[in-house]
Amino acid sequence: MNHVAIAGVGQTHHQRRRSDVNVPGLAREAAQRALDDAGLTMEDIDSVIVASGPVLFAAVNEPEKWLVDALGARGKPVVRITSGGGTGFAGALAGYYQVAGGFADRVLVVAYDKLSEGALQYSISSLYDPFWGRDFAVGIMGFSAAYWRARMDALGHTEEAAARVVVKNLANARRNPYAHVRKDVTIEDVLKSPPLAWPIKLLDVPPISDGAAAVVLTTEKLAAKSKAPPAIIRGMAYCAEADNAPMRSMLMSEPLAHAARTVYRAAGITSPRRQLDVFEVQEPYSCFELSYYESLGLCAPGGAAELIASGATQIDGDIPVNPSGGCLGANPIGASGLIRLIEAALQVTGRAGDHQVPGARLAGAQTGGGWANLRGLAVVSSD
Amino acid sequence: MTDTSDQPRRVGVVSSAQTPWRQAWSGAQHIDLISSAVHRALEGSGLRIEDVDFVIDSGSDVLDGRSISNCGFLGAMGAHHKEESRVEDDGLWAALYGVNKIASGAADVGLIIAYAKPSEAEIDLFHSTIADPFCQRPVGLDEATANGLIAQQYLQRHRLGEEVLARITAQAWSRAAAAGKLDGKAPGVDEILASPMAASPLRQAMMARPVDGAVAIVLAGESVARRASRCPVWVTGMGASMDSGNFARREPGLPACTAAARRALDRAGARGNAAGIVEMSATSAATELLTLEALGVAEAGAAADAYLDTGVRRINPSGGALPAYPVFATGLVRLAEASDRLVAGEGNGQALVHATSGLGAQSHCVFVIES
Repeated sequence: MNHVAIAGVGQTHHQRRRSDVNVPGLAREAAQRALDDAGLTMEDIDSVIVASGPVLFAAVNEPEKWLVDALGARGKPVVRITSGGGTGFAGALAGYYQVAGGFADRVLVVAYDKLSEGALQYSISSLYDPFWGRDFAVGIMGFSAAYWRARMDALGHTEEAAARVVVKNLANARRNPYAHVRKDVTIEDVLKSPPLAWPIKLLDVPPISDGAAAVVLTTEKLAAKSKAPPAIIRGMAYCAEADNAPMRSMLMSEPLAHAARTVYRAAGITSPRRQLDVFEVQEPYSCFELSYYESLGLCAPGGAAELIASGATQIDGDIPVNPSGGCLGANPIGASGLIRLIEAALQVTGRAGDHQVPGARLAGAQTGGGWANLRGLAVVSSD
Repeated sequence: MTDTSDQPRRVGVVSSAQTPWRQAWSGAQHIDLISSAVHRALEGSGLRIEDVDFVIDSGSDVLDGRSISNCGFLGAMGAHHKEESRVEDDGLWAALYGVNKIASGAADVGLIIAYAKPSEAEIDLFHSTIADPFCQRPVGLDEATANGLIAQQYLQRHRLGEEVLARITAQAWSRAAAAGKLDGKAPGVDEILASPMAASPLRQAMMARPVDGAVAIVLAGESVARRASRCPVWVTGMGASMDSGNFARREPGLPACTAAARRALDRAGARGNAAGIVEMSATSAATELLTLEALGVAEAGAAADAYLDTGVRRINPSGGALPAYPVFATGLVRLAEASDRLVAGEGNGQALVHATSGLGAQSHCVFVIES
């Protein structure tokens, strides 16, 4: 099978509200940066993938039909992938297979969300209809709180464990020029912040952001001619769990464990904590980063609270997680999964700037979406 | 399972199944329609759901009235603990994804699913929402008005009258009836011309009729396909192209459709377009004609003659999209129909399959398939 490389990356400086650009302007900004990074123009691109969160987020139906002109993609194949919060990653996966399957040599993947323009939690609430057959204004927070509460009850984990994730990620976000949350917080601050859906509190919640991200994916051979040092994708998968809630584990993300098995096998990884140098994960709330540690095999099941307390996942720890600050630093949802992949690529090519993990050569990028039932993982390397 | 060869693998259509397409499936939910199609597609192949490596589905959150609507259907789609992704475009783009995934060597068997239940939505409003961002306000531009403008331009350019559109429509419905695909009666030319005006010169009966239902297709790499099907149909070429979002800036004649077809035919190594079967999508009788010309199936202005001539090649033997337009599933139905006919030994062993999406046929996807 042909390996696929990330030959160029770009992202916007994410903000709470970008009123200076519209949606196509925002997407174009990231696309242009990715093309510049790769030393390419749209002429060189065979195919375009657009990815955004559910269209109700920005209240524009079939937005790719609108973006095509701003991207300079008129006449090229353009298609949109949408898979909940992990959609940016899912878009990259579709592009990955366009290259690996021989449909295209160079694919531009553009992911974005302009959350300042829509009613976010209202849009998310509409996904509960199939459970209840009626409008059920719960958003995603109550559902996520139930997951965290189950882990607290069964594993004895405390609110403090999740607070440590917040403190770590916000400290890292200060080193990342693309993140927009600039806050110094302590564990105490997190614990004392107002509960929104207990045990989730205000400071456990990522910001709402406007932002876009883009990558150029190419064959490994073409990437060798790229301007930027390429990152090679060693394995990539995005897995689902059906909606029948009673069958689902509240303690462990089974679709993520499934994706991890597939990707680790493809990448030849048998001991993830030892072999991988750094992880970027998409944590929609602080507590999810903890359950990911376990599904990704960074610690034994139930061991996440201990792992974060040990300092191992700090930027100077033995397995740093979210040196970019993760979603807590910036969260343009539809782009967030692709930003994780971009950050992983920057790490293995030594281009992550102030949040670079020294000597990183092998990185994991995790993603998630839906009602915690869509989970993905990619492993990228420097060679 | 992972293939170590560098060459893309051959990918075949192993089997497919469709629910009947009805104006309204009021007694069945989305999950009932989807699981019925999935169940029967597998039944025809000898494969079990455990043998399926991944699911790619197509559908619309806006049409379904629900965010991340694929999440509500994962069980029915058989996607539990499998790789799954949603393509929010016509199902033929979902098939394109699936073919690439298998061609890469990363998977052997994929399930491609598309469905629609426009009876539970306001289809005209759905189309209007696609135009909203272009116009920045609800000006009332929708699929009918866009097609009306295209139709006026086409009829004037070739000095044709509106009765040609009525004849095409009547023929499409009678082909669907002959293929046993109609849940109602096929209208005649007079009845079509007497139907209310949708957007001059298009009568309402000349617009594609939205229907409910689901379609599922099983794709497999060559070795599995040969075992699972006595006559696999190979996907030998794929192409896609999207035109400008600005309706007024598009050149006449659907150049994006031509570009998509050229890519697919080039990839298939075909010299010109000689496919014996053409299954194509359109939202009105007018874009049906334009599409035939853009695909290279008919000369400019001669699409109606090519369509009505049943001698040389068979154009939309299923009746096409005019009698049955399941919105996001239309193009995947075309792939299922064309594959079935190749398996039955019809035509010359090659078929051209076409899907379109966006306001006024903005985006196009074309497959060349061969038995």
